[in-house]
Amino acid sequence: MPETDDEIYWGVDCGSSEIKVVALDMQGNILLKRKQKTLFPLQDHVRHALSGDAGELTPFVDTDSNTIRPGHKIIATGYGRKYISFAHDALTEIKAHFIGVESQLELAQAYSIIDIGGQDSKIIAIDHEKVDQFIINRKCAAGTGAYIEELGHRLEVPLAHMTALASGNDKELSLNSYCTVFSGQEVIKVLMNGERVENIIYALYSSVVKRVMEMTTITTDNVIFSGGVLRFHPKLVDMFTEKLTEANPAMKTMLSPNAQYCGAIGAALHGQNT
Amino acid sequence: MTNVMKDYFLDLDDAAKDPARKVAWCTSVGPAEILRAMGFDVFFPENHGAMLGATRVCMDTIPVANANGYSPEICSYLTSDVGAYMKGITPLTKAFGIEQVPRPDVLVYNTNQCKDVMHWFEYYATEFDCPIFGIHPPTNVPGIRQEYIDDVARQFEELIAFLEPIIGAPMDPVKLKETVGRSLKATNLWSDVLNMAQATPSPMTFFDATIYMGPIVVLRGTQIAVDYYQDLLTELKQKVGDKHAAVKQEGKRIYWDGMPVWGRLRALSNTFDENNACVVASTYCNSWIFADFDPSDPLPSMAKAYIKIFINRNDQYKEDYIETMVRDFNVDGVVFLAARTCPNNSNAYYNLPKKLRDKGIPTIIIDGDLCDLRCYSDEQATTLIEAFLETI
Repeated sequence: MPETDDEIYWGVDCGSSEIKVVALDMQGNILLKRKQKTLFPLQDHVRHALSGDAGELTPFVDTDSNTIRPGHKIIATGYGRKYISFAHDALTEIKAHFIGVESQLELAQAYSIIDIGGQDSKIIAIDHEKVDQFIINRKCAAGTGAYIEELGHRLEVPLAHMTALASGNDKELSLNSYCTVFSGQEVIKVLMNGERVENIIYALYSSVVKRVMEMTTITTDNVIFSGGVLRFHPKLVDMFTEKLTEANPAMKTMLSPNAQYCGAIGAALHGQNT
Repeated sequence: MTNVMKDYFLDLDDAAKDPARKVAWCTSVGPAEILRAMGFDVFFPENHGAMLGATRVCMDTIPVANANGYSPEICSYLTSDVGAYMKGITPLTKAFGIEQVPRPDVLVYNTNQCKDVMHWFEYYATEFDCPIFGIHPPTNVPGIRQEYIDDVARQFEELIAFLEPIIGAPMDPVKLKETVGRSLKATNLWSDVLNMAQATPSPMTFFDATIYMGPIVVLRGTQIAVDYYQDLLTELKQKVGDKHAAVKQEGKRIYWDGMPVWGRLRALSNTFDENNACVVASTYCNSWIFADFDPSDPLPSMAKAYIKIFINRNDQYKEDYIETMVRDFNVDGVVFLAARTCPNNSNAYYNLPKKLRDKGIPTIIIDGDLCDLRCYSDEQATTLIEAFLETI
């Protein structure tokens, strides 16, 4: 285990699907990134994600207690942020994603972040290095990672194969329903009609783009994508870009570096600055 | 407070058991003054709905109403209350030892707030084979025209004629003036109480006010309500003088629009408190301010006051009203509750939050409901509120 007297800032993003951890040094350099599936009891699994394997950098004094080493600070974000008793502070994923994205890129004065997580989608509008507005999907899985996972499961298509399949579409099929269950019924119906799976995956992605884009009007010329769903579904990024550019030809988009870890990075940086 | 409400319900229970007394059920912004002046004991089913919500008993009663033909999409006060009746339970039993809600001798509703109250009361009219009377004022009005007042005042006169044979006596005009006079005093005091939150720090929160509001809803027209608010006002003036802060580290001041989430009052209160934010004012609690009551002109002034309520106004009025409240209470941001089963009292649907944002007033919309917690996500609401407070 590296021994150091320097301060180390840990960001933990307790998402609905995965726990993401980063450690930053005093200069903001990323010392490590770790992730694991979100399991319960949450705190035990967060502790495990923070500890890593034997010999790796850990914020804990020993393996048996939750005592934090001097100089280490843990900040939590994500839906599980309030359930981590050893975290020094917590912030919402809105602010964490903003800080995480902002810290890694030279950005325009006004830009928007589209973040798609396991159970929510967000659009965050930034102006003058400040969150101007944000919107989160309403009480519905449509437009989130859970929606993609559920329909992928029904189609028996591994998530990793989806982008390649969607790129092989020969038809712009659409799914109309807001509801994941009803969308599932639509998928079964088109499958029964003999539709190609490539077209169905394309329709599924298209539905996610529609659901997210109808949450608000994006008024900035720059959009940054963050979150694990967009990191692992590049076709979805392309489709968002296409739709955004259609609405605004001046639009510039990009996937944030460390897209899945933006929340954790933002949390760690928040710890450094407070 | 507990005693005021306890005495009210115990007295109602006595009234229901006494053949010489008559019980009227009335909607919360219905013409309670007429009923009280004529000698009826008045029960308010919406107050019962709020109790079912606050105690979360509604989560056992709403499904019963749903299973009996009342959609999960309609007013969850209605489904909470009708479901409780079908199930034969009431939170009054645990709170005050009262076996059941008082059986009505007459049902009186006013559609100034919504039409669900009409369906609700019609259910009981059939169930109890009970006389029913509805006041149907003009709705969603931009301004108050004389013909609206004349129309509703005439309906009040018809109501009085309808009630006289039930109570067995004519309306005593002196009693009506006295009752309206007491309502005016109580409502003015209630307004003064709510305005105490204009102080910084505020001595009270919206969540406190949802408890304080009991008497202005169920005891309008009585001296009990006047005395209660006089005492409360004195206490709050003292608190303002002492710089007592309801939220110890009051940093941000918030306005709440829409219904309370009755089953989550404490949790929401804690969320704001933990984030050093005080919800200082609301559309909801201010809805029982009826400054137009005039004892010298009881029926027309009641007509005006009950047409004029916020929920019965057009979008421009609502926008102007909230802007004024934001200014008067020095508010930093507005939380809109989009109540799934109460579109009439949810103002987030027709672009009002965006209009306010465009005027520089931060807003956020929380999805939820007054009673039905199936429509509410604690995690999502907390994240939205905390993120909102982080950004304003």
